[in-house]
Order: sequence, then C-alpha cells, then structure tokens
Amino acid sequence: MEDGNDADDFIPAALAAFGVEADEIELAVMRAAHELFWPPTLELLALDTSAVAAERDPDLSQAPPRR
Amino acid sequence: MSAPLDLPLREQAAAIAAGDVVAGDLLDAALARIEERNPAINAVVATFPERSREMLAAAPAGPLHGVPVVIKDEWPLPWRAQRFGAADMLAKTAPGESGPYRALRDAGAVIVGVGNMHELGASSTGNVSVYGPARNPWNPERCPGGSSSGPAAAVAARLVAGAVGADGVGSIRYPAGYCGLTGLKPTFGRSAMDGHHMAGVSTTIVSGPLCADAGDCRLLGSVLFGEELRAGDANGLRIGVIEDEVSADVAPAVREACESAIEDLRAATDGDVRRIELPELAAATLATVLIANSESLGGVTPERLNNLDPELSPLGRGLLKYRLMLPAVATVKAYQVRTMARRRLAEVFEEVDVIAWPTLPAVAPPLEAPLVELPSGTLTADAANVRGGALANLTGIPAISVPVGSEEGLPVGLQLQAAWGRDELLLDAAEALERANERRWVEAVPPPASAVQTEA
Repeated sequence: MEDGNDADDFIPAALAAFGVEADEIELAVMRAAHELFWPPTLELLALDTSAVAAERDPDLSQAPPRR
Repeated sequence: MSAPLDLPLREQAAAIAAGDVVAGDLLDAALARIEERNPAINAVVATFPERSREMLAAAPAGPLHGVPVVIKDEWPLPWRAQRFGAADMLAKTAPGESGPYRALRDAGAVIVGVGNMHELGASSTGNVSVYGPARNPWNPERCPGGSSSGPAAAVAARLVAGAVGADGVGSIRYPAGYCGLTGLKPTFGRSAMDGHHMAGVSTTIVSGPLCADAGDCRLLGSVLFGEELRAGDANGLRIGVIEDEVSADVAPAVREACESAIEDLRAATDGDVRRIELPELAAATLATVLIANSESLGGVTPERLNNLDPELSPLGRGLLKYRLMLPAVATVKAYQVRTMARRRLAEVFEEVDVIAWPTLPAVAPPLEAPLVELPSGTLTADAANVRGGALANLTGIPAISVPVGSEEGLPVGLQLQAAWGRDELLLDAAEALERANERRWVEAVPPPASAVQTEA
C-alpha cells in the first residue's frame, strides 16, 4: 500500500479489522469512494498544521475570536 | 389574478389576512395540486389532509397564518417520524415536535406534506431515496439536487410557495441551484434545529428556507429564526471573487451567467468587485466532508453495520461502511483546517461584504448518471458540487443561492456568502439582484412536469 491508494488491499483489511462484512456491490461502492476520498485525505494528512491550535469548542455562529 | 397557490408565500399570507383568500380553500388547492403534479416529480412523499386541517383549525394569527408549506423528511412531526430518505437511518426516531415544526405551527403555517430527500442526506443530486428519486420540475429526467430534493422540487413545481430544507454540506443551496429557487443556508445555530436526530452532534447542519425569491425566504427564514430578518440595503456592496477551480472549473454557460450576475449586482448596489484569496479552500472542502461524515457515525457499531436494512441502497450501505475507515487523525486535521478557514474568512470579511461564486459548476445532470462535464474533464456531480458548497458549513457562515440564468432549459444559480450573522445582508443582496434583472429568473416557472417531454 505504498501509494496509500490500493483499495483491493486496504478495504478488505480494514473491514476484517472492524469485523464488518460487505457484499460485492458494497465493495465496489467502497472502492469508488476510496478513489474519491483517499487522495485528498492523504493531502490533508500531509498538511503541516503544527502551528495551528484548533479553536476549543468554537462558536460557529460567530467569527473566531481575534488572536 | 394568478391562482392563489401561484402567489408568492408573502402574498398568500397577506391575501389570507386581508380576507381575499380563504385558508381552507388554499389548503384544498395545495392538496389537489400535489395530487395532480406530484406523480411526475415525486417531491412530496407523505400528505395527511386531516392533520393539515387540524393545524389550520388551530392556527394562530401569525405571519404565515393559513399558508401551506412542505417540510423535509428530516424532522419528526407529532404524527410522523422522519425517515431521512432511508430504509435505515441508524438512529432512533419517533413522532414528536421538532423545532421547525413548532416554528411553523406558531407562525400559523399549515404543513401540507413531507418533502423527499436524498438517502441519509448523503448527496448533492437527490437521485437515491427510499421513496424513489425526486425529479427536477424543469426536466424530470434530471436531478433536482440534494439532499433537500423534495422541498426544492415542490416549490419549483408550485405545489407550495415555501418549504423547509436542511443544509449540512450544501443541501439547501444545491437543489435551489438546480431547481431555479432561492435557498438560504443560515448562520450556524441561528435557525430552529431541535428534534433533528443529529442536532446534538452536528456542527454543520442547519434548517433553512427554499422559496422562489428572497422576499419569501426572508419571511420563512424569520419564522425559522424566531426573529424578524429586517430588510436593509446592499448599497456599496463589496463583492469578493476568487480565481480558483470553484469559479473557473465550471461549464462555460454557468461561468458566463454568474459573471454577468456579479456585474449586475455590482452595478445595482453601486458596489465594487475585489479579488480575494482563499488558499485553504481545497483542504476546507475535504475537512467538511470528513467532519460531516464522522459526526454522523455516533450510533454506528460493526454489528449494526452488519445488520443494515436490506432496503437501504447499495450505495448507502457501501458509503456507511467506508466511513468507518476514515482515519481519526484526518478528522483532527479537519478541525484544524476549520480554524484556519474561519480565521482566513474573518480577515476576508474585513475587505468584502460577500463572496460570490457559482452555486454549482454545471446545470442539473441526468438522474441515471449524475456526471458533469467541466473544463477539467468529467466528474461525478458530488465531487464537483462539494467544492462550492462546503465552506459555509465548515465555518458556520451564511450562504444563499439565487437563480441567475438558464442553460439547456435548466436553471443556473449564483452563491453569495457573508460573514457570521449577516444573513439579512444576503437577502438584501439577493433582492438587489432580482431588481437588477427585473425578477426574470425568480419568476421563471417550469411547465407542469407531466407536460415535459422526457429524454429518450
């Protein structure tokens, strides 16, 4: 799974780890979802957010407090 | 004079208050029109004439006294539990009084039906539902948009003049765009949400109005907000635009209609257009999807996933199981991206009043194969649509979709987003745009769906 996008390995392994069963159609859906979601997920994981302190319990009805 | 049912929501309310229209007659007309037009579009999935008549008999003299409306299959009613468009919604539900129900009841409105929705609220298309797909009144072979597919199709087909939708990742704005309506996604937390099965955990979902125009959204929005959304003016409007895939990787006709509308809005408000930068936008899109998907998993266990209702669509089953595999660290990053995006927007909204870009990159795609052709190639509608819809849900800001054009006989929508709490400004801007284009697009009505030629 070097490129992190090998759905044929990743999905059955993850399903087995969670103890979740899937039929062929569901597997096909999951492979399509993986193709769609995994590359941007890897991009997100590669994002350096070490300097970002996430807002604690943000009030989403308001602008964030000024730093 | 138009048939009362064809009047805007606010004019229906005024006509009833003035005694020019009998509310009971209007309710009967709405039920008859649903019977006549709904089979072709499947917008309304439940009616309950006796309950509606009871609501009318008990209706107080509120701002919507006697006016029929539709509510999305996302909230319980005292006589009906929501189904979330699904055979299995992984949450316990029961009939009850939800916040939107109480707001409508206390305003004197009459709930005449429940609107269809995309299964589990999980798509921008509306082409999958336990009730069968809703269809776009402009062309029944095309997607109505999702997930608030039924509310939008019901208003577009003039079954009712107003409907309550919900927007967790664009789910009011997408169907507004596809169906040629005005749809407001309120500032997070500003509109009624009690009774929604995810109200306690979701940080993206809000209720909001879907209507023909901004004036009706102002009225129905005021009811859902529990406060009057006062009209102001949008003079001197500073309009922010972005040169990114959200505004550039769109079908040429959509781009042209939206650019023309932005210029109309600028001229109408004597404002100006400024280029802005949102480098976090791509990350924000995925962050929204991750957060929205993770927040919906609270009730999930492997055992539960192994015992899903077989009537749930294969797409729904597969996506639910795939969600389990999204890495937790990515969700943590998503919350950091939310903070970054909120801080960036706070800076941007010091420079501009609204941000404008196309609600959707292309007109409504076919129900059978919701793909869109963009300059970058062929994409699934969901992958393309989420680029423009997610930011407001991630950050909490309000957003509105307004109709601004037509291509292939299908509507084009422009999205405007504003700073937290400036929902009223979005309505003011939408009204300015309506005046600028002489209400051409908000008054456009599709032919009765049953008369539309379907594609071969």
